[in-house]
Amino acid sequence: MLSFILRRLVSVAATFIIVSLIIFFMMHSIPGGPFDANDMPVSEAVRAKLMANLGLDQPLYVQYFRYMWGVLNFDFGVPYQSPGETVTQLLSRAWVPSLVLGGLGVLIGAPLGILLGMAAALNRNSWIDYLASTLATLGLTIPVFVTSMLLILVFAVWLNWLPASGWGKPERWILPVTAYALIPLATYARYTRSAMLDTLNRPFVTVLRAKGLTERRIVFQHVLRNSAIPLVTVFLPMFIGTATGSIFVEAMFRVPGLGAYFVSSIETRDYPLEMALMLMITFMYCIAYLLSDIVYALINPRIRVGGGQ
Amino acid sequence: MTLPDIAPLAPTAPQAYRQRSPMWFAWQRFSGNKAAIAAGIVLAILILMAIFAPLITPVPPEAQLFLTESLAFPSPQHWFGIDSLGRDFYTRIVYGARISLSIGFAAALFSVVIGIPLGALAGYYGGKVDWIIMRIIELFSVVPPLLAAMLLGAVTRGGYFTIILIAALFGWVQVCLLVRAQVKAFREKEFVRAAHALGASPWYVIRRHLIPNSISPIIVGFVLAIPLAMMLEASLSFLGIGVPPPTPTWGQMINEGIDFMFFYWHLAVFPTAALAITVLATTLFGDGLRDALDPTLKGR
Repeated sequence: MLSFILRRLVSVAATFIIVSLIIFFMMHSIPGGPFDANDMPVSEAVRAKLMANLGLDQPLYVQYFRYMWGVLNFDFGVPYQSPGETVTQLLSRAWVPSLVLGGLGVLIGAPLGILLGMAAALNRNSWIDYLASTLATLGLTIPVFVTSMLLILVFAVWLNWLPASGWGKPERWILPVTAYALIPLATYARYTRSAMLDTLNRPFVTVLRAKGLTERRIVFQHVLRNSAIPLVTVFLPMFIGTATGSIFVEAMFRVPGLGAYFVSSIETRDYPLEMALMLMITFMYCIAYLLSDIVYALINPRIRVGGGQ
Repeated sequence: MTLPDIAPLAPTAPQAYRQRSPMWFAWQRFSGNKAAIAAGIVLAILILMAIFAPLITPVPPEAQLFLTESLAFPSPQHWFGIDSLGRDFYTRIVYGARISLSIGFAAALFSVVIGIPLGALAGYYGGKVDWIIMRIIELFSVVPPLLAAMLLGAVTRGGYFTIILIAALFGWVQVCLLVRAQVKAFREKEFVRAAHALGASPWYVIRRHLIPNSISPIIVGFVLAIPLAMMLEASLSFLGIGVPPPTPTWGQMINEGIDFMFFYWHLAVFPTAALAITVLATTLFGDGLRDALDPTLKGR
């Protein structure tokens, strides 16, 4: 088990480094720089001095190693668009709304999705099965900014029940959290249903029934545990969906979170902030990837022994 | 949902046994799927609308012909109203279907073009080739497609063809995995070994035997790549780094619609509904096709 974790760790670390390289060089190949003439009309000498102060006159690979060295010391630099604070301060301020809304969305959506998927699998072709399939298809196919828009139109504009945007009072959280929750809800409803159906058709379930176990014990003790494996594998895509969804949900509901900085840092060539955001997201993905692999191995002995594939 | 209809075999019946092609069974399964049929019809209407857009609406989508009536609500003359810049909104929605669908289909086509050879190579040769291709795929699975697309969009300054390429760059992975699995499964079949024994080159075997046998996963991969590409385009256009204005795209219109939502609801409702319906129809059609062509994949 330890060697499995170590092997995955090395592989994930290598992926992380490659991705950071790609992002860094891609970011710097965006035409234009942070202090172009029309954004900042200063004389050439001042601009050169500014660039030198920020290390932007160095060759790219030097800048990359400098930045990554800083990252190892938890120094992500100073954001050009708000030079009064460090990137770390900006992020720690901005990520509270994102974490609260996204976290609540996952915490509400995932269990509901699992319950819905279970109910659908146990009552095939009933109304709850159709409801689950419909919700899953809607949630998985329609982009999150479209569902957000529909939520706002129905509950804020048409029915006038809830405020459409902002941050602060908890009633303002309801719509964005719902928009977030639809992603894990749809993902888990769909995969729980198909995983449970697969398991229910396996011979051991027939044996359990023949042994006279109650249906409840069969479902909760045996079927659920054996259906857990596919549910762990969808954790990563669901996580990706929720995290990138934040850009759109926050833009739609005007939440002052991290989402807006993804776009603005690219637009203004705010290299330190952009790099920090991308590294943070990639790091979170790598961790999620690693965790889902490890949990997968823990609940599935075949993988633990046989190695990564 | 329903079990595939198996043609009742009557062993005592004297009539000649009719041989059915796999396509016939696939059609039987597909036609039993009401949602997929409905989605297919909607999709066909949308495609016709996109192709014949100039016939449906006589006004060009970028012409500001109705400036005096800006922000007018839907009326018999202007079915979806007028937008803030004096353009007929119905025309813009119809032309938006052109952008969305053409990007979806073109990106799916490119995905298939990249995915088939790589998937076939990985599945056929295995070993090192497979390892390298799988590591590349792993790289793609760690990078969130949308963020990478945002960066790429900024590097290349957006635009119609760039979006197609970006969508294809993230769409080929699925096709590649499907083809790889199929080729891997067929590589050891007797007829492939027979072809080898007869001296067929690997390239010939891949081209004549393995790829034709992967046709159903390829179709499935193609159709399922379409909504993903459309979503990517809409998302990028929504963020303002996709297809630049004045070209009408639904993502852009939704973004503009937010500001008007409370007072001019039509500017938000129609593009949202158009995008939702199109993506939903394409996905349901693709899912139906997948269930019909490859029942073993059902529900994945």
